[in-house]
Amino acid sequence: MSVENKIRTYILENYLFTDDQSMLGSDDSFLQKNILDSTGMLEVIYFLEDEFGIKVQDDEMIPDNLDSVNRISAFLARKGGAA
Amino acid sequence: MAVACASLPALLLRSVEERPDAVAIVDGNRRVSYAALWGQVSAVAGFLAELEIGKGDRVALFLENSADYVAAYYAILLSGGVVVALNTATKARDIDAWVRHSDARLLIADANHPEYAAILERVDAALPIVALGLNAVSDRNRYTWSQAAATPPAPQHPGDLPEEGLAAIIYTSGTTGNPKGVTLTHGNLSSNTLSILRYLELRPDDSIVNVLPFFYSYGNSILHTHLAAGGRIVLEKSMLYPAQVLNRMAEERVTGFSGVPSTYSILLNRVNLAQYDLSSLRYMTQAGGPMAPADVQRLTSLLPNVRFFVMYGQTEASARLAYLPPEKLFEKLGSIGIAIPGVRIEIRGPDDQELAPNVAGELCAHGRNIMHGYWKDPETTRKVLRDAWLHTGDVAYRDDDGYLYIVGRATDMIKSGAHRISPKEIEEVVLELDGVAETVAVGVPDPMLGQAIKLIVVPKPGSALDSRAIQRHCRDNLANYKIPKLIEFSESLPRTPSGKVQRFKLQ
Repeated sequence: MSVENKIRTYILENYLFTDDQSMLGSDDSFLQKNILDSTGMLEVIYFLEDEFGIKVQDDEMIPDNLDSVNRISAFLARKGGAA
Repeated sequence: MAVACASLPALLLRSVEERPDAVAIVDGNRRVSYAALWGQVSAVAGFLAELEIGKGDRVALFLENSADYVAAYYAILLSGGVVVALNTATKARDIDAWVRHSDARLLIADANHPEYAAILERVDAALPIVALGLNAVSDRNRYTWSQAAATPPAPQHPGDLPEEGLAAIIYTSGTTGNPKGVTLTHGNLSSNTLSILRYLELRPDDSIVNVLPFFYSYGNSILHTHLAAGGRIVLEKSMLYPAQVLNRMAEERVTGFSGVPSTYSILLNRVNLAQYDLSSLRYMTQAGGPMAPADVQRLTSLLPNVRFFVMYGQTEASARLAYLPPEKLFEKLGSIGIAIPGVRIEIRGPDDQELAPNVAGELCAHGRNIMHGYWKDPETTRKVLRDAWLHTGDVAYRDDDGYLYIVGRATDMIKSGAHRISPKEIEEVVLELDGVAETVAVGVPDPMLGQAIKLIVVPKPGSALDSRAIQRHCRDNLANYKIPKLIEFSESLPRTPSGKVQRFKLQ
């Protein structure tokens, strides 16, 4: 499964409760679409750290890195944790 | 004290006159001065007058925290109207239920909100709507915010607002079928605002980064206290990105910060507070449920020069009932403190008599901040308001020095992440599913949220219902924070011989 799919599947399963891939666009904003709240975002960060073996630093917790499936994928690629 | 009778718009106007050029609200890149804010309040009040919305008329607000929210809120009050600020985390069915229950004559809503289209489908087609975020509207009865905010000001003056006049309805923890709207008067809101100002010692040079929603009483009180003090409120949407919030606190050199236990839990567990320049910070406040004493100790050791206020309250009390003076924080760790100025608190037994120290009973409160009742619900009002004393449903005791400690709740209400949630509301929605025979929602301990929601479901014979289908149905119909985190299937529910479900056995 690609990194993007892993992230999408995690969000769909845990926050949208579906496996219908069309329910979440790659650029859909988690904030604007009311998908995650602050504790949900923390869970996502813990998931990324566990699943991809990275550490998300304070200054990396910004919408540019985390607010959509595509942004997370790009962030992971930059971190080198996507392998 | 004559000033204690002043309405919120009168308190704002005093700040406008004393500090017209000072910044009142920072909303993204917008820095709105007191004079500009008052200009907008007056214009929107003029617009409401054109719609003939006045004394006692309810106006529903469905807006995230913003400078426009503030202008709309104060304009409604200035017009003599009643603000019905609705929870933007919830879904269209609740919004529609609240708009109808309050008989709102106007809805001011964010057209970019994901629920906006669903709300339009549900609400009465004749309901006038001001849509923020739209440049033009085609329907009759629809207005843009620019239209409303560009109306010539009406001649209203805050001095005309009576203390006993209804000012706000806040919907809290009811069910869709039976909404619970706390009614607050101008006197309730202003007296609580002035009391909080006094114990926090807020001044015109105080400022805050606010992450709490204004539609709840805690956020609402932060808004009103800062505007009454002539201070500055910097808006941040939420704690979703904690580093962003801390950077803003450092950049804006704010003096205050307010949160619920999960806010502080995020700060302690996800960011390194030492990396941020918080040297301007004078105080922090915490309300919305008990915070773990270990978290209080960690936070205060990281920020030793910041005064930390533990506070307690209810929407039914406008916001605040008690606070723990920071100098008593460690001596009385775990206490919610003492009554705030102007409020009396008693711990009472089942016969409504005051109990001796160290004996647990119901925490009851009396003061000018106590609501006048639940909107259109005299029966529930009679249960909680007796002889003008609010019966909070919280079980507490007072120590020998008069400090109060909460030990539990006398009701089944779930408290999750500072949200007060009626289990019935969740059960009502889950029972709509075909395969569910019975269900019960309870709160179970959770390190981050205080309580997480657990649902126990008794399926109908042959039902193929799974957890995910239940959670999806909840997501479609309830605010996200009301979706059960844990779901268990069971053949039956534990009951008393008389048939009552024993919720405590499921927690």
